[in-house]
Amino acid sequence: MNGEHKNLLKGLAFISPWMIGFCLFMAVPIGLSLYFSFCDFSNTSRALPPVYIGLGNYRELMGDEIFWQCVRNTIYYAALVLPLGLIFALGAAILLNGKIFGQSVYRTIIFLPSLVPAVAAAMLWLWLLNDQLGLINLALHKIGISDPPSWLSDPNWSMPALVLMSLWGVGNTVVIYLAGLQDVPRELYEAADIDGATPARKIWHVTLPCISPVIFFNLIMGIIGTLQAFTQMKLIMSNDGQGPQRSTYLYAVYLYDNAFKYMRMGYASAMAWLLLLAILLLTAIAAWSSKKWVHYGGK
Amino acid sequence: MNRLKLIGILALAVPGLGLLAFGPKGPKPAPADVTVVEYWEKWTGSEGEAIQQTVDDFNNTVGKEKHIFVRCLSTSGIVQKTMVATAGGVPPDIAGLWESGLAQAAAFDALTPLDDLAAAHGITADKYKKVFWDECHYKGKLYALISTPYCYALYYNKKIFRENADKLRAAGCDPDRPPRTIEELDRYAVALDERNPDGSILRTGYLPTEPGWDLSFWPYNFGGFWWDAKDKKFTFTDPHVVKCFDWMQSYSKRLGKDAVSAFRSGQGNYDSPQNSFLVGHTAMVSQGTFFAHIIEHQAPTLDYAVAPLPVASPELAGTTSCTADVLVIPKGARHPKEAFEFIAWLNTRGPMEKLCNAHCKISPLADVSDDFLKHHSNPYIKVFEDVAASPNAHGSPSIETLPNVGDELANFMTELMQLRTTAADGLAVVQRRMEQKYKDFEAKQALHVKP
Repeated sequence: MNGEHKNLLKGLAFISPWMIGFCLFMAVPIGLSLYFSFCDFSNTSRALPPVYIGLGNYRELMGDEIFWQCVRNTIYYAALVLPLGLIFALGAAILLNGKIFGQSVYRTIIFLPSLVPAVAAAMLWLWLLNDQLGLINLALHKIGISDPPSWLSDPNWSMPALVLMSLWGVGNTVVIYLAGLQDVPRELYEAADIDGATPARKIWHVTLPCISPVIFFNLIMGIIGTLQAFTQMKLIMSNDGQGPQRSTYLYAVYLYDNAFKYMRMGYASAMAWLLLLAILLLTAIAAWSSKKWVHYGGK
Repeated sequence: MNRLKLIGILALAVPGLGLLAFGPKGPKPAPADVTVVEYWEKWTGSEGEAIQQTVDDFNNTVGKEKHIFVRCLSTSGIVQKTMVATAGGVPPDIAGLWESGLAQAAAFDALTPLDDLAAAHGITADKYKKVFWDECHYKGKLYALISTPYCYALYYNKKIFRENADKLRAAGCDPDRPPRTIEELDRYAVALDERNPDGSILRTGYLPTEPGWDLSFWPYNFGGFWWDAKDKKFTFTDPHVVKCFDWMQSYSKRLGKDAVSAFRSGQGNYDSPQNSFLVGHTAMVSQGTFFAHIIEHQAPTLDYAVAPLPVASPELAGTTSCTADVLVIPKGARHPKEAFEFIAWLNTRGPMEKLCNAHCKISPLADVSDDFLKHHSNPYIKVFEDVAASPNAHGSPSIETLPNVGDELANFMTELMQLRTTAADGLAVVQRRMEQKYKDFEAKQALHVKP
């Protein structure tokens, strides 16, 4: 055995704990879930093994009206949260990047909500959004809105309530933007100043192109995160996360219900694979479009 | 090492050592040479403590004699975890589930039939109230025994009745007794309703959705139900069922859907001091046996009484819905015989009454001691015991797709109370969807039948 082989073996030995863990706890379950998606499988008993049914689960999904309602709800949620989250986080990051008194305090305040555990945050919002006693409706009353929304019980307002709640936790995204903003070369701003650029034009022509890789990263993470949104909806919304008239019944919650409430692991696996395909497709589209708007410093 | 570093290390080390010495301890070690029975239970808090006390009682008596040690583990998400553990071949020996999930778990082959074990211990139908014995069965096989059960009755606020005696009399109601029929319930409710000057609801005499946990059972109070157990068919469009849900919607129409919605969102949790019945915002509620426990803790001076639920016609008197926590032995449990020793012991009168009293619930057993009735934590326990033993007591329907039904009904109820559908139209949708789900379920089950 030559030195190169020895080094290879040593390297493999060092990464083997991760490799073994990945294979056992990720690769094998992922592979199995693909197989289960073509099976009728309840995952409740060893006496009831998976039975192969071909595309049966996928066909059934196409005719499942609740599945389509969840798809529509998830698209609606993502279409609101994704752009609003990106814009809100970017705006906050740009403001926090300026040299202002108490900068680190403001940064901490913005970041703190993302440290609050999801369950605690959900409970907090449950009270904030209460029709009668919530601080949000109290504030709306104060500014003259006499009939504020029933956030959690009106199907027209339940989704905006979820969006509001999601925007509260953009601290992580803000931090990533801040890191990107601090990498923007000073001389570009100086050059823009010499050219007489206004602050808005500096943001448009200098800041945004320079941090476009960071925006792209946040966009991809946002696509994945919003399509998989689960915890807060499950906790805060009535009817076990489905919301009034299933108005906030999101894809991941229906997937969970099928797997663990209705005991249909095969059906849930098919849903999981469709979700993976949707995320892959959207990520591919984002990656393809990035050639036109993402600028890397090295190029 | 400078002084600051030393102080820092001590500041971390002292609490750490304190935590090790006085912090939470692991499960009690089992004595040597005994069979350890693993028991997963959903309850925490005072109910969890009562179950642990029951387990300790067993371990110190019968367990000691028979060399069995039951180890109780409080487990959240118990249904899901039990099913997954069973599928993985490492289930607990006993799991504390809800009876409403039995048909589903049994249909998916996750439970051990208990008929032979029960027969060996002399456990027979005549020892139980019929409704609970029936609830433990699926397709004629025994799959569980009860741990603690409860049923529903009408709690009413005597003080509100007294203070509004004139109004009640004017409405043709007797302020010295609760309503007995649905028609009476409506008249009492209207007489006891009270509004704020701005039109919002200050107090409701009665509101079906407050808290509304037993709404799906209320068709029984009208003489019908949405499941035909004999033919295994949904009957959501049965005229009695439609009439029942029409009646529920009439409250939303009369009080105003938005006013009801606003009123309900302003009330606290059922077990908080802000519960609408405890603060006098609702004069009558349909609640379970255990509710007396909450009244005792949160509003001990509340002047209330309990009566059977109102019904549409006299022959339905005593109608109630009965639900229960049950103990099952999952398929593949390592020590089914020893596990059943504990379950059988708990299903004897002494241990059962002690646990049911601690949980403020009724006994599932047919034979109830005077002591249980006299010293129960619910002063109206006799009312609950009587209705649970009545021929009009009904348990959860044995439907394999019951979780789907529950979700569908919950969504239908929201639409109904928001006046977005009529009872007839909404129930027709529920009927169509649930029929389809059941057909799908039966088709999938057929795939697993070996030729």
